[in-house]
Amino acid sequence: MKKQLGFFIDARRCIGCFTCAMACKNQYNQEPGVVWRTLYPLGEAVYPHRERAFYSLACNHCRRPTCLEVCPVNAYSKREKDGVVVHHQDKCIGCGNCIRSCPYGAPRYNPVLKKAEKCSLCWERLDAGLKPACVLSCPVEALQLLDVEAFTRVDAVQYPPGFPAFPKLDPSVRFVAPRQPIVFLREDL
Amino acid sequence: MSGMELPLVVFTVLGQAAVGIVLLSAVRQWAGHPGSEGNLRAEWIVAGALLFLAFVASLFHLGHPTGAFRTLVHLRTSWLSREVLLFGIFGILILAVLWGVLRGAFSGVLTALAALAGVLALWVSAMAYAPPAFPALHNGLPIVFFLLTAVLVGSSGAVYFAPPEKEALLVRILGSALVVGLVLYLVVPWVWLSGGTVMRMTGEAYYASALYWIRLAVGFVLPILVLALSRRIPLWLPVVVLAGEVMGRILFFSHVVHSAVNLGTPY
Amino acid sequence: MKEFLSEQVEKAIGCPMTRRRFLKGLLAAGVLASAPGGLLRPLDTEAAVAFEESYQVFRNACPRNCYDTCSLKTFVKDGIVRFIEGAPESTFTAGGSCVKGYTYPRRVYSPDRIKFPMKQEGRGSGNWKRISWDEAMETIAGKIIEIKEKDGSLLGLALSKYSGNFSITNYGVEGMMSSLGYTTRLVGTPCWPAGIDAQNYDMGDMWCNDPEDMVHSRYIILWGVNPAWCSIHSMKYIYEAQERGAKVVVIDPVFTQTAAKADMYWQVKTASDGALALGMARHLLDRGLVDRNWISDHSVGFPEFEAYLKEQITLEWASRESGVPAAQIARVAEEYAGAKPGAIWIGYGLQRHTNGGHTVRAIDALAAMTGNIGKVGGGARYGHLQTWGFNYHAMIMAPPEGSKGWVGKTGPMGEFDFAGQRDAQYSDRAININKTAQELLDADNPPVRMLWVSCKNPLSQDFDRNKMLKAFNKLEMVVVVDQFFTHTVDLADIVLPVTTLFEEWTVNASYWHYWVGINEQAIRPMYEAKSNIEIAAALSAAMNRLSPGSCTYPAQIDTKEWMVKEFNKGIYDLLGIESWEDLRKGPRKARMPQASWHDLRFKTPSGQYEFRSELCEEHGHKALPEFISPRPSQGPLRLLTPHCKFNIHSQFNNLDWMRDFNPEPFVYVHPDTARGKGIRDGDRVRVFNRLGEMRLKARLTNNVPRDVLMMYEAWFSGNEYNCQNLVDDEPADMGAYKTGAPGVAIHDQFADVARI
Repeated sequence: MKKQLGFFIDARRCIGCFTCAMACKNQYNQEPGVVWRTLYPLGEAVYPHRERAFYSLACNHCRRPTCLEVCPVNAYSKREKDGVVVHHQDKCIGCGNCIRSCPYGAPRYNPVLKKAEKCSLCWERLDAGLKPACVLSCPVEALQLLDVEAFTRVDAVQYPPGFPAFPKLDPSVRFVAPRQPIVFLREDL
Repeated sequence: MSGMELPLVVFTVLGQAAVGIVLLSAVRQWAGHPGSEGNLRAEWIVAGALLFLAFVASLFHLGHPTGAFRTLVHLRTSWLSREVLLFGIFGILILAVLWGVLRGAFSGVLTALAALAGVLALWVSAMAYAPPAFPALHNGLPIVFFLLTAVLVGSSGAVYFAPPEKEALLVRILGSALVVGLVLYLVVPWVWLSGGTVMRMTGEAYYASALYWIRLAVGFVLPILVLALSRRIPLWLPVVVLAGEVMGRILFFSHVVHSAVNLGTPY
Repeated sequence: MKEFLSEQVEKAIGCPMTRRRFLKGLLAAGVLASAPGGLLRPLDTEAAVAFEESYQVFRNACPRNCYDTCSLKTFVKDGIVRFIEGAPESTFTAGGSCVKGYTYPRRVYSPDRIKFPMKQEGRGSGNWKRISWDEAMETIAGKIIEIKEKDGSLLGLALSKYSGNFSITNYGVEGMMSSLGYTTRLVGTPCWPAGIDAQNYDMGDMWCNDPEDMVHSRYIILWGVNPAWCSIHSMKYIYEAQERGAKVVVIDPVFTQTAAKADMYWQVKTASDGALALGMARHLLDRGLVDRNWISDHSVGFPEFEAYLKEQITLEWASRESGVPAAQIARVAEEYAGAKPGAIWIGYGLQRHTNGGHTVRAIDALAAMTGNIGKVGGGARYGHLQTWGFNYHAMIMAPPEGSKGWVGKTGPMGEFDFAGQRDAQYSDRAININKTAQELLDADNPPVRMLWVSCKNPLSQDFDRNKMLKAFNKLEMVVVVDQFFTHTVDLADIVLPVTTLFEEWTVNASYWHYWVGINEQAIRPMYEAKSNIEIAAALSAAMNRLSPGSCTYPAQIDTKEWMVKEFNKGIYDLLGIESWEDLRKGPRKARMPQASWHDLRFKTPSGQYEFRSELCEEHGHKALPEFISPRPSQGPLRLLTPHCKFNIHSQFNNLDWMRDFNPEPFVYVHPDTARGKGIRDGDRVRVFNRLGEMRLKARLTNNVPRDVLMMYEAWFSGNEYNCQNLVDDEPADMGAYKTGAPGVAIHDQFADVARI
């Protein structure tokens, strides 16, 4: 099977430090307000301690990307060699259809350029044999590059709680759930 | 809440209005003697003008309107490309019919084709507004909403162009559509409440919105009462119906919740 | 302004289409060609080299007050910083910086950056006028000379400086003061003084293991420290230890991010950690789990400590004091003692209490009595300064001839004072940095007339803001050196623009890990910014123009030369290099054994670990690590103002990039407490005590206990948020011995909250 790159999000190791999110901004200097990668805190129904577990998400480089499918000017392409979904901003006319179509909120509107944009898995860096900026930056290797075809972690899932299932799109991400410590609260309260 | 997306509100409502006008014109032709049914010239000019305004409004939605001509290149997978194509064909057919009408030569075939193209355009357009990111709309609801808009605006607006003896037919069509619409719009948010988190949020947003209730009152209850009591379509009624559809479309764009807002909590 | 900027720099500041330029840069370098339609042809392995070669790459080191002191690689093209990466050569930094460090490309080019010297016509008015460096220096020099004439000394000139920039040549600010004469110095540190003294009483120095050796720990107690936020690069070692079977216990008043990653979390009553440690110690005694051999070979005073524990401390008492269940205290104590080695990481928040120093001594004792000191993977880890043995050439300046100063105890010292003893008739006047406002108000004969602020933000970081406003009102002139219009700059008469790390040469060490990194100048200084030593040089030139011989600081500075002058053979040997130039290839790790105190030659008076320290008693504390009751409650709820992951004190959260992820401050309240006050999640509330009040939104969470309010210390520019409205300057017990002034009980504060 062909290589399909994506992200491995280890929410067990992730400390929610936002290093990956800012490494992306550092690499691409997006307009203020335009964010390609961010961390979503897990709600207390998923992880009972507020703002203590996260999913770091950017673009999931789906096997059957809806952004690519719906774009009227064919401004997206999916690379043969590794499945990276690339946005060709020079072709984009800013219709917003991809933004309205992606259930994961990956494409964002750039109000200065009046075009969409999103994470393109740092393909320029990949082609130079370098890691994506976010993956390189993670201090605990909680965010890793994966090849869905070669991924062997049996403790990982594709659709953990808080990440909607869209099998028709088949996002190229896998997750490991966060753990909780044994907690001893104060006996004097 | 997303933005109101006014250009898209105008584009979809006016485009569907054009389809509705064309559809009702076609329906009246089949119900009577072709070519003799009312002020066809005005009717088809209005349809064409509405479609043109819709097209202009759609450009305001684009970051780069000059690129609009390239939107036809992705017919293979993009419903939006197909929407542009189908509305384009619809527009051409309107022009074709109009050209005939202006020369006094009305073509029933072209009229039927235009109506068909209009309905197909609605369907394709609805598919473009039913993406995975909006669970409440990722289904057959948009086509129902769009068709309803066309029939409501078309059947009420036809009163400006149809001969008086056709009013009873229009009242029947409009009345049925209003009742169907009222039931639909009352029940759909209720159905959404029984769905997943994001669908539920959409249902809650609708019921909590003053605009939703005002729209039901203005766009459905009031016209139903008028029709029930008078069995006539007063000349101001199509404006009220159109206003109701605009309000409904504003809700469609601003109150339907995007799946990404819920990332991190159970779906 | 345009004459200062090339067209490209201006574009960078406006940030248009940087990504497009990035791609074009690669195209220009011939690295890739994209065909219309987007599919790229595959590249060969030379691509990686070609990628880097299309940029100029510089070595930088983050100079912030942070455990991690990252080594950075800076990618520059056309004289513009394009992006940074963490240096891959450092096993500690390991290729990544942090959420704060990655904002550096924006910080350098921030539209908010102070561009040139400015004077404020009407302090606090916001009526800023641009002035030239010459005018700024003349004004400042004139005032300094006026003070000298009025008072016969420069004691009326005070320096507020601390940790805004820890790079070695930035000690040139102190040097500048010395070169003017004898001045008033705000001495001490708000950060870690009580713990430093404690470790000095116990062991004779503050010296932690190499944090990279935590992979060898079989047990790790993270006590009052939150590395998941404050030392993110340390987390990988803790994880590795866990994977190898170590148990990680987090002890903290609140459920921190680190707590979420631990095996066990103890919610402890704030300021009772000393009782907890003593309870564990008593239990170990009872179970016979102390390392008697280690104690007899390497310590003094244990019999007295043992007697104290037996007479005054019980497990049940410790449980009542701390809120931690007795069975758990017993169990963890036993597990820790049996782990061999077990590590305890003592956090700085832990000792920001009136009893902080004694608490650290109690925890040190726990480590010592279990034989965990001097072992790889063990230790009572706090910090170190082993890699800071530079020359401090920028700092050591002689006063002008005939200078008069303070007659009294020898001059001030901070924990970073490496200048050694000075035999002078006169000295600087030392006042307590932790009581800045009060000291500025009280200082007399002469009063403090002029304040120079650099690498510090007193209005955001010093205590009792309302008192600080009064103190500033008393000052005749305030000069602030900074990059942004902080709350302190708002009250300045003159602000001087200073360089970022990319705009000067310097060198940096860490107080936690063992790496040293050079900081190359990557770009030309932005606008008219100068580095601190260049400012000193400019001031010296102005002083000597007005009054020859009034300043001994050289009038010509090259930051590169001055960086080179900081190096000595000791540093070269420590790093295993021939010359500072070797650091241009990447950071180097000090060649030290991983375990501190590996030779067990303590630097105490006895040469051994001192459970009983006479020196400590002489200084007015208890000889033994006894339990000291915490500060009595001053209000219905405790107020904690710890550090946040999004900022280093008042730096970084003012940037728009950071506001994308952390737009506004919150006060965290327990849901039960909130319910009782009718507060819902997201409501605007006021937090208030006898010092002042703060209005902000509430977030409800049981991460905090019922009796605690928590808000993070930070500066959000354009937002009046300032937790110093609520924090007073109550001193900690220790700190005066090694840092010149007692610490401050930052976390012994109290307040109430109400809906607005």
